[in-house]
Order: sequence, then structure tokens, then C-alpha cells
Amino acid sequence: MNKPLLEIRGLTVAFDTERGSAPIRPVQDVSLSIFPGQTVALVGESGSGKSVTALSVLRLVPSPPGRTLSGEIMLEGTDICRMSEKQLQHMRGKDIAMIFQEPMTSLNPVYTVGDQILEAITLHQKVSFREARKIAAEAMAAVGIADPEERLKTYPHQLSGGMRQRVMIAMALSCKPKLLIADEPTTALDVTIQAQILELLRRLQRETGMAILLITHDLGVVAENADVVAVMYAGRIVEFAGVEELFDHPLHPYTRGLFAAVPRLGQASARLEAIPGTVPNPANFPAGCRFHPRCALTQQIAAESADAVQVNTDHILAMVARPCVQQEPQLRQVSPGHWVSCHFADHYAAAAASPPSLEHRREVVVESLAAREVDA
Amino acid sequence: MIEASLQLPATVESRGYARDITGRVMRRWGARIGAAWIVCLVLLAVFAPFLATSHPLLMKSAGKWSSPVLQSLGPSDVILQAAFWMALILWPMRLSVKTKVIAWLAVLIVTAIPSINSLHPPQLFVYQHYRDAVRSGKIEQVVFAPVPFSPQDHLRDQEDMRLQPPEHVHWMGTTDNSADLLSNMIHATRIAISIGFISTGIAAVIGVVLGGLMGYYGGWIDLLGMRVAEIFDSIPTLLLLLCFVAIYPPNLYIMMAIIGATSWVGYAYFVRGEFLSLRDRDFVHAARAAGIPLPSIIFRHMLLNGLTPVIVTASFGVASAILMESTISFLGIGLTDESSWGALLEEALGGGGTFYWWIALYPGLAIFLTVFAYNLIGESLRDALDPKLGRMM
Repeated sequence: MNKPLLEIRGLTVAFDTERGSAPIRPVQDVSLSIFPGQTVALVGESGSGKSVTALSVLRLVPSPPGRTLSGEIMLEGTDICRMSEKQLQHMRGKDIAMIFQEPMTSLNPVYTVGDQILEAITLHQKVSFREARKIAAEAMAAVGIADPEERLKTYPHQLSGGMRQRVMIAMALSCKPKLLIADEPTTALDVTIQAQILELLRRLQRETGMAILLITHDLGVVAENADVVAVMYAGRIVEFAGVEELFDHPLHPYTRGLFAAVPRLGQASARLEAIPGTVPNPANFPAGCRFHPRCALTQQIAAESADAVQVNTDHILAMVARPCVQQEPQLRQVSPGHWVSCHFADHYAAAAASPPSLEHRREVVVESLAAREVDA
Repeated sequence: MIEASLQLPATVESRGYARDITGRVMRRWGARIGAAWIVCLVLLAVFAPFLATSHPLLMKSAGKWSSPVLQSLGPSDVILQAAFWMALILWPMRLSVKTKVIAWLAVLIVTAIPSINSLHPPQLFVYQHYRDAVRSGKIEQVVFAPVPFSPQDHLRDQEDMRLQPPEHVHWMGTTDNSADLLSNMIHATRIAISIGFISTGIAAVIGVVLGGLMGYYGGWIDLLGMRVAEIFDSIPTLLLLLCFVAIYPPNLYIMMAIIGATSWVGYAYFVRGEFLSLRDRDFVHAARAAGIPLPSIIFRHMLLNGLTPVIVTASFGVASAILMESTISFLGIGLTDESSWGALLEEALGGGGTFYWWIALYPGLAIFLTVFAYNLIGESLRDALDPKLGRMM
């Protein structure tokens, strides 16, 4: 029970570029663990490496040009990075399933929904055609599709976006995976459907006890669904904590910037807050802390010091930010269950560097898992 | 509550992509006429031994009814009949395409084995035997075929029937060796149909497999495949065929194989292009994430999506294969023992510069109409499958 289902240790993914230039590293030294029944959210802007991390878990990073430089991804004790193509095929869909951002294009337009679900079922489970049909219909019913037997005969273009995402989820769940990777599952859907899909994922998680790796940039989705949050920036995890802890005490200036950028009800403001600048190109990440060119914290500290001694702000900034520019911060546990990588986080210097692991999960999930164990 | 709102209207018609496309193609008059012509040809090819034969369909001789035409059927005629009727029976059945094809092939094999083993019709018939018997009253009652002449029936019992222009007995006239032209034309549809379909089939299979692999893998496989394709592209089919028939005796199957093996390049280019764009589509990623094995991804999920240009090219390819065979036969180096439109066309020019218009007109018209029909269908398919033209038709 206390063993993580999936453990990513020091994962670095490189993409080979044009001959002559160094390979880029969209994911650098990422460590993460997911326990059964837990929802871990990977949060970050576009280009922060969250999707590449998720694809690496399934070994679906296109290769070439992509390759895993270092690190291991342990799924219940076996390293996914060392699996043969055959083992991978067996693992994909059965142990780890994935749903994608675009339900409109993730289903094959020339086959019926039933054909596609049945293919996945008969591939991973040794069942007769009739049983497979039953499983498919049950999966369709479980995701809240009325008249599942009939809907199996429809083609994707006959379904709405929300229905298609339900079908994708049904397909992913038909083989009872232990981990579901949801890559921005609601981004392409309108808001009411988003709520339905998220609610559906929560309910299915309660019922099956699977773990979910939720990739999103929507903090509202994170607050409602995640147990644990990993904030990624420029290929690294910059903060990792339980969801309440993170929302109550965001430590990393990037996380704080993200929260500041969320518009609030009842507060009229002329402009939305934003983090200045853009995510750096993976081809040339800044030296030291990758966030420092956009960091409000260093500039703020510099401004405060400058007020006190009345000298040139730029000079103070250079002094204050020297560790940020020169040294890459490590993830350190600054309070129980809260890791952050920032030179200026509270208690940062005293904390020991360690890969994050957090057994924080919602009570409901723990209960359902306990019930399952009693059954077993 | 939420569930209730998800119910789709019950009227949504579950219509497959293939049926949708067929419907759109057949909305055009050109395609309808083309398809009607091809269907006619297929029917003529299947029923040729009953439509144009010197053997009576039924006859009463010495008080007994018999059917000489049935005794004259060879193994290929029997297999063709079985294939046709089985297809007709299976077509409306509510079975999956896979089951239908398997059932069809099974019936074909079951009929092929005994018919090849047991059916040995005599190589040489004396066709005038029937006519003599009718005249002398040995055969009391007789039903002849609509065209009562076999293609090899040289009318030895009649006075000079060579090169007669069309009249009421020989609707399309006779050829150089007194054979009925219409009968030859009907029997020649078999070659026209089979050479088109089989050589295009060979080309499409080679092209799709190689093009698919090139497009999916890219890299050095693509590089190598493209060079091989270019080499094959540079081989002139006609010259290769000429070389072949100069060395070996003409053989229909080898001709099909040669035409197929040199014309796959176009298919390979098209499929490669389609796959290059398909391999990054979301549903291909989703299929890989679901652990579906690679052959299934390439040949099930991607191929069906990238098949449209292949279908269009194939319909034009059938036409060009027919032309190719006609050319070879016209040059007088085609098949000798079976009639083909091209070979008939060649007889239009007699020695000493004489020209027999009916022998030129009818086979020429048949070739023209068939090629035209395939082109009409191909064009209509291309428009129906073009997403830009989409629903405008």
C-alpha cells in the first residue's frame, strides 16, 4: 500500500536537433511519484515539458529525434525505459492508459466507436467477442452514455466533443488501467462539458481506485481534482506539494505568478496580472535558475535593498540575483510534504535536497481503496 | 440528470464512410453511366459461354433433352459462375465485410479444386456438327444462344464467310478467318476486365505496402524506398513487355504481373505522402498509447484513412492497363489463343492495304468506351473524395 505505483527518478529527455548543435532538453531531471488512487497534477505553461514527461511514461516520445538521456521510470518495480517493444505494447493501454486533449481528432474517423473500443479490449484481455462487447457496453455506460449498445455502432463524426471525450475515457478505462494519464482532457471542451468530464473522472477514480496523472494549465481544474501538484517550468519541477498546501502557501515565485494571474470574481481590474516574458526556448535555457529572467522576487528584493542603502538598483539586483544566475536550485523539502526549488524560498538553505514523494490523497479515495483491500 | 441530456436524437443515421462516398459518386451522371457500362462488361464476361456459343443451350436428340453448352464449360467458366453467384448471394447479407470475403473465397476454392481436376472439355470442337445435325433432322428441337457462334467457330460448313460486313446473321460481321466478330468481342471482355483489375491490384498492393512503410518510418527506409521507386519509374512498361514476349511465349498472367510490377510507383508516392501527414495525427498517437501493435496501426488505422488517392489512381490505372494490353495485342505479340479487343483491332488491316471498317470500329469503340467509363468513375471519385469540393455537389 505504501509503495508508489509509478516512480519517475531523474528523468531527462533530449531531442536531437540539426547536426552540429547540442541536443535540446525539454525535460531535465524530473522526479515524481504517484501512489495508487492518487491524482497528481502536472501544471505549467505550454512548452514547460509536461506533455513530454507524460509521453515518456508511455515511451511515446517520437524517436528519433527524442531519447531518454538518463533516469528511470519504475512501474511497480519494472523500468519502463528498459522494456522491449513487446512489453511496452502490453503495458500501454493495459497498465497505463492515456486520454488526449483533442477528442475531435483522437478517434479514427473511419471506424465505429464500437470497433475501436473492441479492438482495445480484445488486444489486452483474453475474452470472447461477445464478452468484449459486454465489457465495451459497460464501459460506455460507466462514462454516462445512454443506450450504450446502440452508440457502439456510431461513427465518431456523429458524436459531439463531450461525447467523444467520454468515448475516449471509456476506451481508456475498458482495460482497467492502474494509471490514467489525462493530457489536458478538458481544454478543447466548453465549460459545462468540462465540469461533467472532471466529475466523471473523479467518480471513476472513486469506483476503480486508479491513479491519475492530470496534465493541465488550468488551476481551477487542479484545485478541484488533484491531491498533489507538481508545477513545471522550463523542463523542471519547480514546486511540489499537496493541493491545499500549495494553494495556501505557494512558495516559488513562478507558482505565485500563476496564482496572481488567475482573475478573481468581484475584483475589477483594468488588466489581468501576468508573468512578464515568455517560456524560454528549450534550445537555450537561461543559466542558473531557469526562471530568473522573469522572476519578480529577485527584482523585489533588489528594490527593497536599494531603498535601504540608496545605491544603483541594477547593481544590487546583480548582487542579489547572483546565485540565481550562477547556480541551478535543487528541489528541497522546505516543510513536510512541500518541495520547492528557489534560492529565496523560506528555510530553503536548511532543507535537504530530495526527490519529492507525497502520500497525500483524498479521504474518499483512501476509503474506497481500503474497501477494495478488504474485498481482496 | 446529466445522462438524460446526452441522448442523441434517434434519427441519426448510422452511415459508413464508404457508403457515403459511393452515394456521392453515384450522384453524378458520368459515374452512373461508367458504372453501368462496367456492370454490362462484367455480365458479358461472366455469361460469355452462354451468350455467344455454337453449342446449343438445349437440344432434343433421339427423344432426349440435353445441354451441350454445359458439357463444353471449362474449369475457368465454372469458377467464374460460382464466384459471380456467390457474390450476388452474399452481397445483401447482414455480415461483416470480412466474413463475406472469407465465405466467398471458401466457395471459390471449394469449386475450383473439383472443377480443375474433373472438367476436361475437348480441346477441339467440330462446331458445324450441330448445324449439320439440325439440318439433317437428327436434332429435333434446339435452342441456340443469342449469338450462335463460338469465337473459334470458323464456319467451315459454309461458303466463303471471310470478312463479311455486318448483316443480320453476323451482327458485327466476320473476321479474317470467318469467325463471328460479336462473339469474339463478348469473349474478349474477360481479358479486358481481368487484366485491368488484376494488374492494378498487384500494383496497388505493392505500392501501398512500400509507400506505407516509407511514409510511416521515414528516414533511411524512406530514402531507400524512394530510390527503388525511381528505378522502377524509369522502366518503360511497353518495352519490358515487348522484350518479354520476344523471349517467352505470351502469357496473360505474366503480362498482368509485368504491368503491375512497373506501375506501382504512383501508388507508393501517394500513400507515402498520406502517411507522412497521418502519422502525426492524434488518433494515431491514441492508437499507439492504447498499445495497438504497429502492423495494425499502419494497415488498419492509417491505411483506411489514406486510401482515397489510391482508389482514384486505381480507377485510372485499370483503364491504362486495358490500353496497355490492347497495344500489345495490336502489335501482334499478345495472346494468340484467346481473343482480345486489341488483337481483333489488328485484323482490321488486311494485306495490300485493305481496310475492314467493322473490325476497326467495334473493338475500337469497346476499348474507347471502357477506358472512358473507368475515367468517368475515377474523376467522379476524385471529386467526391476531395474535401475541398466537399458537399458542393
